[in-house]
Amino acid sequence: MPTSAPDILLEVKGLSAGYGKIGVLHNVALSIATGEAVALLGPNGAGKTTLLKAISGLIGRGGEVRFAGRDMAGAGPREAVAAGLAHVVEGHRVFTQLSVFDNLLLAGYGMAKTERRRQVDEALAFFPEIAEKRHDRAGSLSGGQQQMLAVAQGLVRRPRLLMLDEPSAGLSPVLVDRVLAATRRLRQDGTAILLVEQLIEKALATVDRVYALARGTIVLEARADEPKLPERLERAYFGQDAHAPLEA
Amino acid sequence: MKARPLAWLEGKRTFILLALAGAALPLMDDSYIGLIATRACIYWILVAGLNLVVGFAGQIAIGWVALLTLGAYTTAVLTAGTVLPVVHPFLALAISGAAGAMFGVVVGLPALRLRTFYFAMTTLGFATIVTQVALAWKGVTGGGIGVPGPVFPAPFDSGWGFYYFCFALAVVSTWMTANIAVSRFGRGLVAIRDAEVAGEASGVSKRSLLTTVFLFSGALAGVAGGLFASLQSYITPDAFTFDLSILFFIAILIGGRGSIVGPLLGTIILTVLPEFAAPLVAWSTFLYAALLLAIVLAMPGGIADLLDVKNRRPLERHREIVPRPEILPRLLGEERENEGLSLSNITLSFGGVRAIAGLDLEIRPGEVHGLIGPNGSGKTTTLNVISGYYAPQSGEVRLGKMALPPGAPQRRASFRIARTFQTPRVIGAESALDNVKTGGMIDGRASFAESLLTLPRHRRDEADLHERAMRALTAVGLEALADVRADRLQHSELRFLEIGRALMLRPACLLLDEPAAGLSAEEIRRLGTLIKAISRAGTAVLLVEHHADLIFDICDRVTVLNLGKVLAAGTPAEIRSHREVVSAYLGA
Amino acid sequence: MLESIVSYGLAVGAVYALIGITYNVMFSASRVFSFTAGMLGMLGGVLGALFITRLGLPVALGLIATVACGAIIGVITEFVAVRPVLKNLEQHLYVLSTLAFALLVQQFTAIEWGTDAQPFPRLFQIEDSLVDQKFWLPVVACVATIVGLEILYRHTLVGRAFLAISEDNYAARALGLPEQRLRIASFALAGVIGTLAGFTGGEVLLAFFGNQSILNFYGFVPVALGGMGSNRGAVVGGFALGLFQQAANFLVGGVFAAVAVFVVFIIILLARPEGLAGAVSARRV
Repeated sequence: MPTSAPDILLEVKGLSAGYGKIGVLHNVALSIATGEAVALLGPNGAGKTTLLKAISGLIGRGGEVRFAGRDMAGAGPREAVAAGLAHVVEGHRVFTQLSVFDNLLLAGYGMAKTERRRQVDEALAFFPEIAEKRHDRAGSLSGGQQQMLAVAQGLVRRPRLLMLDEPSAGLSPVLVDRVLAATRRLRQDGTAILLVEQLIEKALATVDRVYALARGTIVLEARADEPKLPERLERAYFGQDAHAPLEA
Repeated sequence: MKARPLAWLEGKRTFILLALAGAALPLMDDSYIGLIATRACIYWILVAGLNLVVGFAGQIAIGWVALLTLGAYTTAVLTAGTVLPVVHPFLALAISGAAGAMFGVVVGLPALRLRTFYFAMTTLGFATIVTQVALAWKGVTGGGIGVPGPVFPAPFDSGWGFYYFCFALAVVSTWMTANIAVSRFGRGLVAIRDAEVAGEASGVSKRSLLTTVFLFSGALAGVAGGLFASLQSYITPDAFTFDLSILFFIAILIGGRGSIVGPLLGTIILTVLPEFAAPLVAWSTFLYAALLLAIVLAMPGGIADLLDVKNRRPLERHREIVPRPEILPRLLGEERENEGLSLSNITLSFGGVRAIAGLDLEIRPGEVHGLIGPNGSGKTTTLNVISGYYAPQSGEVRLGKMALPPGAPQRRASFRIARTFQTPRVIGAESALDNVKTGGMIDGRASFAESLLTLPRHRRDEADLHERAMRALTAVGLEALADVRADRLQHSELRFLEIGRALMLRPACLLLDEPAAGLSAEEIRRLGTLIKAISRAGTAVLLVEHHADLIFDICDRVTVLNLGKVLAAGTPAEIRSHREVVSAYLGA
Repeated sequence: MLESIVSYGLAVGAVYALIGITYNVMFSASRVFSFTAGMLGMLGGVLGALFITRLGLPVALGLIATVACGAIIGVITEFVAVRPVLKNLEQHLYVLSTLAFALLVQQFTAIEWGTDAQPFPRLFQIEDSLVDQKFWLPVVACVATIVGLEILYRHTLVGRAFLAISEDNYAARALGLPEQRLRIASFALAGVIGTLAGFTGGEVLLAFFGNQSILNFYGFVPVALGGMGSNRGAVVGGFALGLFQQAANFLVGGVFAAVAVFVVFIIILLARPEGLAGAVSARRV
């Protein structure tokens, strides 16, 4: 764990974003150090997915995003990927008509051919299960395998920060463990992780630090090993001042 | 609102000026001008009807020249008596109107089933076919040689006499379409264009409304065709080029969708312009196309937007929504019979995935029932089953003792089931007031014909609707913004506007889909008070929401869904302390 | 007679199929139905006659110049009529913007080239033994296009990227694919295929500005029936339409053929709005 004077990899300040007239995020600030694993928690509708999209430039945003010392103003997902910020979107959206291998090659679109091949092989090495099926159509994979493929796509460019949006959604507990185990291995290799996850306990076992998002803003920041974290999270979600329900 | 003298004149200034100019035109004593003016009148008779299809209902009908052709040949052939016994020109004109109406429906009906581009293509195909048939059916149409056009009896046989005949019909067409525009039918059409799903939920029947409008629009086109044949004095298939279709279509878009004045001016401009710039004639369609592109890309509102000074006045920046729940009983009615809504054993799968697995739910009148659960737990699916977008594979939704027909979203309004949407679905181009009026669609009693002629029943409908809509706007705290176009409102105001629209139904059951999303803390508090008051006025309210504090604040009962099943149900206090719920909802 | 039905039918069928593929290529990249497909076919004939007959270029150069113009016009379409309206796809403004753009080009052609159908030059000065070149050229172009697209989609990374943005635009963007550039490339490709159709079908269809609306409609029929985005549907449908139309033409006369095609088209669409091989519609709420 980077303890002494960690250099900041991702820094977000005063970020706001939304869809059309609907403001979802207000004044969000967070930072991730090089090689650090961070979980982003929060109830449904808090804006976690929106936050990842805003960081990777999939949707427009206000405020400041700095990545690896670079101001990402106006940068779209292409620039983000090129800078080393990979975003694995929710719902294991792989290209079902293409083979597993082609799906991975596409993740390396624009890289030199031999380099791309090598990276794809390395990414596959993380997931022996789908490496066996490299010539199968991605549509024939199970949901869990598709999720692994999606994560593997995120690895092809050897990102400095990997953002994973609910990799566990729709997976059986065994598969969740496998996906998260891969995440931990990545972290050991020095890749920083930003993990959005509903399964709090599993998330806490994977990361160093957590942010909690509620009502479009960060309501809590804590180390993953702090005591009483679940209780603090619960209070943060429901609002500290949750009054007793009115009785009519 | 205070009545001002001459207030009815407001917004009619352009019509009156045009009418005066049109009536005084013969003073110029220039037969060439008379010819152009007659042509403009005839085009407008067609465009006035087409405007309801294109400008109001938003259906991209680009081949409307086919109906002009049909009307022209029908009148010409009937008066010439080459095929059938000679028919009096006026009767022939009426028959053309009927034929136009019939084919209007034939050309238009695919719009009920097909996507936009497909429909545009079918109208285009129809236009091509009609010209080809006219060319080939020599025994009737004279083929490429053509047939003479009808001559109307005196005093309409002279140039100016015929002009006054066309002018009078143009005035009548304007008047009728303007009446429709401000009726529930006009609002229904615009709802089909801009907020189809919301319109459906308010009881707008796309099928019957569009059919009626295609009939009316086709009839006007048929009549315009008969007049056109007379103006041309001799018609061949060459007279009905596709360029003409483009002219009609573009006149509407240049004028602005959802306006009568705009397309009227557009028609006049497009008819007159090439005449005054002779070198432009060859380039006229090119210019129309350039105009169309410019309009689409730069000025989607068209001329009507330029004329709409009222909506360019800046709005107050810091506006507060202050609902007035105390007037809800007056709006919703004091004594209401309502036995609430119940779901029994609903199951629904999508492609093998169970979205809802045996759900029972009871929503009682006078209560707010909260529905929460993680993403994908089936909350929105449940709402969609109740409001008829999905038909469950088994189980039943009942309102009191009546079982609701599965599917059939457009019939929910008649059961007084109202809803709002996760993303507000409002008609941006219409005022807040008109948006709310859309919600009262099913209470109108006047028929389309009555509205067309603004008969007493229509006027009573509108007066009643206006009063109730103002009350609904006041109840949700938006009365100060009644005349503001909805696309100028803030997001939070749209949320309250949707509730206002739903209240117009005097709902027995109100379904709210994440009404608090994107609202500030203070606005959520006010929303909560409003929702609670709505329920206390005898409405069964179902609230799907992520904001836990709002749920626990105002709900009388909460049901927690997980994986399409009820995980827990009870009072907010019970739910709040339910370990399993906390873990499912928070994910521990 | 059977011989002329088959040869004419296959020739126009191949042109319809290619125009259908033109629709598909644009649609796959942008979800936009574009009225410019027929325009490109029309331009193929007009530009071919312009370059070869009027300007006297050799055939090969004339072909290259024609498809190059097609590619450029395709790119202009993307910039002018597609990109500005992509943000609000659900408002269907693209129907109007592409219609307007196609009309602009068509009217310009009518004014500058003339409104009469003009002959298209014979491409090869050889004695045709079995079948005249004007009949087999479009068929060869169609086969070549299918094979070319197959190679592109199956064996190149760019081709796979086309498939990827067509299947899931959002995921493709998240992955960092240059979605915008691929879209431009698709429109250029559509321009090439569309003008190739008009060029190789030139002797049958002539260099005529009015071909635009005909090709727009008859090129759309097979894709609408076969399901938007399906090239196989476009090819099968295109040839079937061409043969049916020519058979009706010879047997009962052109007007009835046109009416029959139109009626069948409407009836099938009303019964199956997504086409005979299409998928069910998306959710609305």
